[in-house]
Amino acid sequence: MTRGGQVLPRPHLLYAFPVVAGYCLVVSLRLLRPVASRPYPLRSAHMFPPSFNAAQPEITDLIVEHDPATLERLAVDKKRVLDTFLAFRNREAMAAVRAIPDRGGFLDARAVDRVMLAVHWEMQRLAEEFFHGQRVYELLKVVLAAIAAMGIKHPLRVVDVGCGIGYAIRWLAARTPLASEGIELVGVDLNDTLIREAARLAAAENLPCRFVHGDAFSARHAGHVYLSTGFVHHFRASNEAGRSDSEALYRLFSRHDLPDTAAFLHYDFRPWALAPLGSWFFHILRMRTAIARHDGVLSTARAYSGAALTAASRSALPLFSSGIYGANIWGTPLPRVFHTLVGMRRNILPAFRAGLGVRAIRLGEMV
Amino acid sequence: MTLLILYSLACLDGLLCGCRTAMGRCPFIGLRSYYARALVRGFVAAQLASLAAWIALSLVFLLTPQRSLLEADLGSAARRMLWIFLPYAAAVLSALALRLLPSTDIRSASSVFLLGPFTAIRPFLMFAGVLFGIYSARLPETRLLGLFVLALMLSIEAILNRLAAHRQSRQIADLVSSERARPAKLEKGM
Repeated sequence: MTRGGQVLPRPHLLYAFPVVAGYCLVVSLRLLRPVASRPYPLRSAHMFPPSFNAAQPEITDLIVEHDPATLERLAVDKKRVLDTFLAFRNREAMAAVRAIPDRGGFLDARAVDRVMLAVHWEMQRLAEEFFHGQRVYELLKVVLAAIAAMGIKHPLRVVDVGCGIGYAIRWLAARTPLASEGIELVGVDLNDTLIREAARLAAAENLPCRFVHGDAFSARHAGHVYLSTGFVHHFRASNEAGRSDSEALYRLFSRHDLPDTAAFLHYDFRPWALAPLGSWFFHILRMRTAIARHDGVLSTARAYSGAALTAASRSALPLFSSGIYGANIWGTPLPRVFHTLVGMRRNILPAFRAGLGVRAIRLGEMV
Repeated sequence: MTLLILYSLACLDGLLCGCRTAMGRCPFIGLRSYYARALVRGFVAAQLASLAAWIALSLVFLLTPQRSLLEADLGSAARRMLWIFLPYAAAVLSALALRLLPSTDIRSASSVFLLGPFTAIRPFLMFAGVLFGIYSARLPETRLLGLFVLALMLSIEAILNRLAAHRQSRQIADLVSSERARPAKLEKGM
């Protein structure tokens, strides 16, 4: 084909390219759409922030229930969960709950288990990105050394309360010499699906730690050191009927007052004005499950301030000193994503301070 | 040379896509071999995309009556694309290099403040790079090839993500059904 002596391309053959390119674009956009992996919601259908109302519970608080006395799993009424979020006009949470199949009006336990595992696998990524294992070890080794210096005999037991799939304990078992030094590493959770998964993962990697389905504060499972991650903010009025936030928190800390317990380290989000927005952006980019996105953002809104945590622990545990570690970055006003409520028997405190060395600057007032 | 650089960038993008789509989908502590496999998957995906682009390029060369003009046009479009893609790649590699520092704070911050936003802008940057490259192209073949390559680039992560999601769903479903069928012995008690 020529025009004025100039050779022109054969258009009928080139028509194939817009078709192919258009097809590829359409396929790409379809694939980029949320993958509604029925029958459970592996993807969020919403890109907008959920309500930042800290008074509402998280989805994972409601979709699994256990009998507190027997630890048996209880059937969860789907309508009751939906009504809870309807009261807060939280459509994102309602969509995520609606996507979980039910049987006779009760949430399908298998589907809930699949959701819980997907969410916790994904949440482990957050711990990996924030080097949470290293952060826990940095403080825990000083606490353990301070306890040992007080003459408390081995084996010391570190209990991760509400351990989920046990990332912190498994990381400590895999990456630190604690187990070989005679420290017993134990993860405890009320959710049997998560604790089974933690035990499976530890067994698969042959890690020297164990996981228990039960109450971490019972005499049988009591630890010399308690640690937790993203656990304390679950003790809210919304999760404990008939109690205020401060009462729920007081009740949690009063349970630490066990004969063997010498210290605790509770890691949780540090609340501040931009935390929910920052968390929303992070979760939109990093998290794939609707529930992880929703609960991750809500957690930052529900997290307790350092003042609330220390006030509750000080009134509940008069024999312990407590304070906040690592509230800001390098002594600047910039807040960290996580802060740590540190508490210990008063006789341990001097050795702990000395053990921190230059990091003592990160430790707030211990009262 | 320009094509070689573009191919290298496609390989780098494939590697990072493979890694990104694998993250949060394996709950073990030792993840070295898992991420190595993810990188290989991303690299292979980049090779397939490059092969598809090469086939398309060859077909156009075969069919076009003005090969030398097309060659020059494609070359200048590709060079323009590099103005966008090279600084982006350098920024991503610099952010990754920060993760080699021993400070957990710096490593976490690099993830939140650099790698996260870089991931967020990736699709827009690809659009911008390709459109900047083909905007002043003289031949329609160059524009069509640019759009075809853009579609391929955008498809890589979406396809890898879909495959990884299927793999994960299957794994979790197997886990839940096997646990229900044969409950593992679990230490239990109050």
